[in-house]
Amino acid sequence: MKRIILIITIVSLTSCSAPTNLYTWNKYENSSYNFLKNTNETTSNKLSEEYKKIIKKQKGIRGEVPPGVYADYGFLLLQSNNMAQAREMLQKEIELYPESKVFIERIIKLTE
Amino acid sequence: MKKSIIILLLITSVVITSCTSTAPVLKSVAYKGMYDEKPLVALIMPPINRSTNIDAKEYFHSTIYTPIADAGYYVIPPFLSMEIMKKESAFDAELFINSPLNKFSEVFGADIAVFTIIHKWDKSSIGSNVSVEIEYIIKSTRTNEVLYTRRGEIKYDTSVSTGLGGIGGLVANLAVSAANTAAAKYVDVARICNYYILKDLPAGKYSQNNGTDGALFAGANKFKVNLSAQ
Repeated sequence: MKRIILIITIVSLTSCSAPTNLYTWNKYENSSYNFLKNTNETTSNKLSEEYKKIIKKQKGIRGEVPPGVYADYGFLLLQSNNMAQAREMLQKEIELYPESKVFIERIIKLTE
Repeated sequence: MKKSIIILLLITSVVITSCTSTAPVLKSVAYKGMYDEKPLVALIMPPINRSTNIDAKEYFHSTIYTPIADAGYYVIPPFLSMEIMKKESAFDAELFINSPLNKFSEVFGADIAVFTIIHKWDKSSIGSNVSVEIEYIIKSTRTNEVLYTRRGEIKYDTSVSTGLGGIGGLVANLAVSAANTAAAKYVDVARICNYYILKDLPAGKYSQNNGTDGALFAGANKFKVNLSAQ
C-alpha cells in the first residue's frame, strides 16, 4: 500500500513539474508592451531585465534560450551604446540559431 | 506564464457559438502549404489595425511573438526587425499584404511573413468584456501563397471572482497580475486571442511534434468563441 502511495506521489510530482511549452518567458509580454508603447530608460531597463532572466533560466521543454532573445537584448545594448556586449549577444544568436545569420550579420555590419 | 494560460484556456467556459458545418479536415490538408514548404523563419509584420481602438495594435504586436516561437519556429527578433522596417519605411504592413514579399526573404532570411488584421476591438462600458475580431494570414515570402489563415470573433469576459481555491486560484492569480493596470489586462486578452488562434499552427522545426501533427484535425478557419475566466 505504501509503495502504491509512493508511486502515485512520484507520478503526481513529476507530471506537475514537467514543462509543457518549448520556452518560458516570465513577464516578457507586459515588459514588451510597455517598451513598445512608451520607449524610455525605465521601460528599456525593465525589458533588459526580462531578457537577462529568460537567458539565465529556461524551464521549457527545449532548455534553450528562445529565438530572438539574444538578438533583441543585443538591440537594447546597442541603443545604450554598449557595443561590445551587443555584438557578443548578436553572435550568440547566430551560434544558437544559424538561420538568423542573413539578418543578424547585416546588423553586425551596421555596427562596425 | 504560458502554463497558466493553457490552464486558463482549459478551465474557461468555452462556448463555440458558431463554426463551419463542414466535415473536419486534417491539418496536413487544411495547411498543406505549410507542410509542403516546411518554413522555419517567421517575420512578424506590424499588425494592421482596422478597429477603432488605437492601442489594439500594440496589444497584439507585443504578444504575437511568443506563441509562434512556442510552436517551434525561428522568429526574427521582433524589436530589431521593427527598427529596420521603420528605417526602410516598411512599417505599414498594409502596403505589403498584397505585394511580393521576396524582399523580406532577402533582407531578413524570412520564409514566412505573419500578417495580423485587427478588425474589431470593442470593450464594454464597464471594461470587463472585450469583443475582438482578428484575422491571421501567413504568407510564403518565396511563393507569396497564403499558407495559413484563420479568422475569429472572440468575446472575452475579463472579470474574475476572487477567493477561488484550487485550480480556480490559478485563474485568480492570473487575474490579479492582469488587473494591475487596464493595459496589462488587455495585453492578457490579446495574448489569449493569439494563443487561441495560433494553436492550430503546424509544429515547426523546434517543436517535439514536428512532422507528426499533420494527422491531427484542424480547427475551423472561421469561428466565434466566448471565453470567460469564470
